[in-house]
Amino acid sequence: MNEAEPVKVIRLTGELEIGRKNEIRSTLRAPADGTPVLLDLAGVTYADSIALTELLRFCAEAQQVGQPVALVIQTPQFARLIQYAGLATVFKVFAEPAEALAYLTESPRQ
Amino acid sequence: MAFMLLIVASLIALGLFVRATVSKAFTDAERIRLARTHVAMMLAQQLDEETGVRGYAVLRLPLMLEPYYGGRASLPLYMRRVRADLTDLDVPKALPELRDAASTNYRWVHEVAFQIVRSHRRRPALELRGKLYVDRFRADTDAIDLALAARTVAVNARAQQAVLWVGSFAVAAVVLVIVAALLFTVQQYRLGVRLERERAASEEQRRRAAAARAAYETEKRIADVLQDAFGERLLPSLPAVSFSATYVPATEQTKIGGDWYDALQLSEDRVLVAIGDVTGHGIDAVVAMNKARQLLISYALLDATPAGVLERVNFDLVRGKSPLITAICGVIDTRTREFVYACAGHPPPVLVEPHSHAKLLDFGSLPLGVAVKPGYRTSRVQLAAGAMLVLYTDGLIEYSRDLAQGEAALLEAAEAAAETPTPDPAAQIRDRIFRDRKVTDDVAILTVRFSENSVGASLSRRIA
Repeated sequence: MNEAEPVKVIRLTGELEIGRKNEIRSTLRAPADGTPVLLDLAGVTYADSIALTELLRFCAEAQQVGQPVALVIQTPQFARLIQYAGLATVFKVFAEPAEALAYLTESPRQ
Repeated sequence: MAFMLLIVASLIALGLFVRATVSKAFTDAERIRLARTHVAMMLAQQLDEETGVRGYAVLRLPLMLEPYYGGRASLPLYMRRVRADLTDLDVPKALPELRDAASTNYRWVHEVAFQIVRSHRRRPALELRGKLYVDRFRADTDAIDLALAARTVAVNARAQQAVLWVGSFAVAAVVLVIVAALLFTVQQYRLGVRLERERAASEEQRRRAAAARAAYETEKRIADVLQDAFGERLLPSLPAVSFSATYVPATEQTKIGGDWYDALQLSEDRVLVAIGDVTGHGIDAVVAMNKARQLLISYALLDATPAGVLERVNFDLVRGKSPLITAICGVIDTRTREFVYACAGHPPPVLVEPHSHAKLLDFGSLPLGVAVKPGYRTSRVQLAAGAMLVLYTDGLIEYSRDLAQGEAALLEAAEAAAETPTPDPAAQIRDRIFRDRKVTDDVAILTVRFSENSVGASLSRRIA
């Protein structure tokens, strides 16, 4: 990884539910300096509408300030949910963390 | 409390003791006074005896001996009394003097008085000895009296002491009682304050609980009313297409959710079909649902494309800080059987066409209210005669957390419903899926079925 282009990795795992709202909210905190964010959701198997709202809002805010965000999603159940929510239409979604990292470090900043 | 009882008991005991002591002291003092009188009387008898004998010695008149005989008669009586007094009053040290007095008197009587009375002349030596005996007797009685006086002093001192004790105890008792009363009062006051505080706290708690319950009841009632009001859905009645719909509230929560559907004739051939789902429950969800629903209908009436309608609705919702909403906006052309729609984060529509398997239509865009530029797109589907569309909310497929399983069950249920000529396919799909499953989230289902000869029907109606 290039020292000049650090990537902030945010990781969530398991079933994201309303009971974990505060934890999700505090975990989903983008760096203020515009550092690219790798949202590692490889271990997520489910997200209810509340958790999905948090994820969507986080991504939308990052998009609005021009902060590069890449998602890593592996479990088919969660991938389908993400597909419903149309996240892949706006954000980069990868199956492997390496691919996401490569995208974030190699793509030119806008 | 036990402490108080102990204090009171000891005070009573001490009081009784002091009272007895003082009483005895006064009795003793009185008896000593009496005893001293007896001693004086004893001396008086001896002096009477002597006076009688001396008078007789001078005048030799038998009459003069009268006091002598009186004294001799009375003296033993007084001596016995004095002896009893000394014993009773516990002054044994004066008993020797009393004995000495008795023997002195005896000797005076026998050695002096008898001799003088018997002889016929003055006996100066004898008289002198008699005087010495009498002096000795007087000294004895003086000693006895002195002992009794000393005893009086002791008794008085003891009485004084006792009275002092009484005073001290009275003061101590008063002080103790006052202190105890003060302590008791303070303790009672504190207890009262604490009880009052606890009572107030529990009252407050009960009040809050009641308020919370009332608030919940109120919200539920309002939400139910709103849901019923908004939920009164009139489906279009057209010859070319038939609509059916159902709404299933979740079993385990207040009835109200944010699910809705609409089927509304926009023009002669065009029918708006919409379905949506607001994140969350309660009044907020119903209000947000109603707002999104009205916006969607309003913009659909402006004749925009479905994607354009969703873009406009999204724009309003993002500005209004709305909760997340998923929705499908579709328009059916009853004449051409074309279905144009846009999907905002909502589960895909199901299409069942005759002689083919049910399938999911295209989907996948951000929900409403998330991003300023969500990039919705309109999809177009040409439907066959007899085709059936199923729009639904996620409660229909998300009862388990396996979406793939939920989708498969839905496709199977939709096929089954399409194959039967039921007037209410929505209810049939609902019954089939929730036959042995619990409804964990609100569910809305809207079906659109084209008649086998829908074009003909539509055209003939137009001609007519």
